Amino acid sequence: MNPHLNRTLGLVTLVALLAIALPWLGNDYYTGFFFELVTWIALAESWIIISGMTGYVSLGHVVFIGLGAYVAALTWMEIPLWTIIPLTGLSAGALAAVIGYPCLRVRGPYFVILTFGVSELVKFIIVNIESALSQAGRTLFAAPDINDLYFIGLGLAWASVMIALLVRDSRFGAGLRAIRENEEAAETIGVSVSWFKLAAFVLSAIIPGMVGSLLILRSTYFDPLQIFNPQTSVLIVTMAVIGGSDRPFGPLLGVALLVVLQELLWANLPQLYMIIVGVLLIGVVIWMPGGVYGRLQRAFAAKPTAARPT
Amino acid sequence: MSLLTIDSVGKTFSGVVALNDISFAVAEREFVGIMGANGAGKTTLFSVIAGNLRPNRGTITFADQRIDGLRPDHISRRGVARTFQIVRPFGNMTVLENVMLGAFYGRGRERSAGAAKAKAMAILERLGLADRADLLARHLTLAGRKRLEIARSLATEPRLLLLDEVLAGLTPTEVTAAVDVIREFHKSHEVTIVMIEHVTRALMALCQRIVVLHHGQKIAEGTPAEVAKDPKTLSAYLGVTAQ
Repeated sequence: MNPHLNRTLGLVTLVALLAIALPWLGNDYYTGFFFELVTWIALAESWIIISGMTGYVSLGHVVFIGLGAYVAALTWMEIPLWTIIPLTGLSAGALAAVIGYPCLRVRGPYFVILTFGVSELVKFIIVNIESALSQAGRTLFAAPDINDLYFIGLGLAWASVMIALLVRDSRFGAGLRAIRENEEAAETIGVSVSWFKLAAFVLSAIIPGMVGSLLILRSTYFDPLQIFNPQTSVLIVTMAVIGGSDRPFGPLLGVALLVVLQELLWANLPQLYMIIVGVLLIGVVIWMPGGVYGRLQRAFAAKPTAARPT
Repeated sequence: MSLLTIDSVGKTFSGVVALNDISFAVAEREFVGIMGANGAGKTTLFSVIAGNLRPNRGTITFADQRIDGLRPDHISRRGVARTFQIVRPFGNMTVLENVMLGAFYGRGRERSAGAAKAKAMAILERLGLADRADLLARHLTLAGRKRLEIARSLATEPRLLLLDEVLAGLTPTEVTAAVDVIREFHKSHEVTIVMIEHVTRALMALCQRIVVLHHGQKIAEGTPAEVAKDPKTLSAYLGVTAQ
């Protein structure tokens, strides 16, 4: 492992350790805000494993959150919290394997639409299961308080950034990026593209599944239509793309920007939030293809490497 | 002892016959050229050998094992590497990263980044790309990208290298340089090469044997001198009927 990566991993861990102190600085409102922040970080950083690195843009990542939430709602009070959280991650990973096997055979817009469609499909399956069981939503009693949820969320955010950094720098990550650049060439030089894509998809689903259990314990009420809201998938994509999905630190900027924006608009103009998100997404895609992080990197690079004639 | 044996291979695309009953063998360490006009089926033949396309008929044997129908990554792992006529660099990765990927996967399957980097740098030196190692691949000129295709294939440690028109589009000086590099590599490494080329001068200079394809069929095979005199080749290329 290179020393530069070790330093980065150390820095991320240090920031995460310092962030443990945040609940003591403010009141529950601030802790709630930081909880939002860490859960979105965990989601966006997980998403770039599949979509940033391989270029297979998933517009259905909410399905993993929703399934994790459902598993948590079913098992809450039945088994202890420390078993629920890994279980929700495993369920989401297993779902990703089942969905990914057929979906990852198609590329580009077809994959985008498929992931969106499959997440809606799973949502309505669960809606129907719930109505067959005569359940109109599930209330979770005696949920952990916001500080505990924040600590778990912070742990997941830390883990997601560490995974993104390690994958980005690994042999596996190089294979994933080769798939993004040219899948046929990657396969021809020996990258097992089908397995790589599936592994990346499963890896990108596990933490969102666990985040689902936290979100449901935070809201203490499970309603499939709410937790499987496709808007969540769109927000994950937007945060990662605005920040820059090619580098692990990109999504952090996008998440910070949108979570702060959401918080500012929440009180006065909540309906404006999604409109601004849409405008930002379009603007970034057109004028800053590498995202804010990509732009900053270019600006701070001493001298851009110019093309030299052969 | 032949390394690659192609036996009555056929490939059709919904009725259009691209390859019809092709058979030939390539011996270990041999240098074989493939000639033929546009649409003769040369690139299709490479795609079928490398696994990018499945043949409809016939068998392909590599190092005593059937490889027809296997996935490209499995064939690569056994030691077959191909370059693409229309170059396919990993554009947003550096030249070095492109070649390291070949070293990471393919037949060599280098585990450590350090070893892969050393191997990639050695190959880049040989191909005269070392000074551009940190450049993004999409910033290379065409000649550079063609070399990068070769470098990336070589990094997979192939036993059989399939070169698809790596000289096309290069200036005469670049052709001469590339021919020297390829010849040097063939001599110094334990590698068997099959090369598709329109630059006849290069084929004559490099190949021990040439196979001529025309409309998906093999119409001639032999040493460069034999093929150059072959009546079928002449009629396919020049439209003249030999007396």
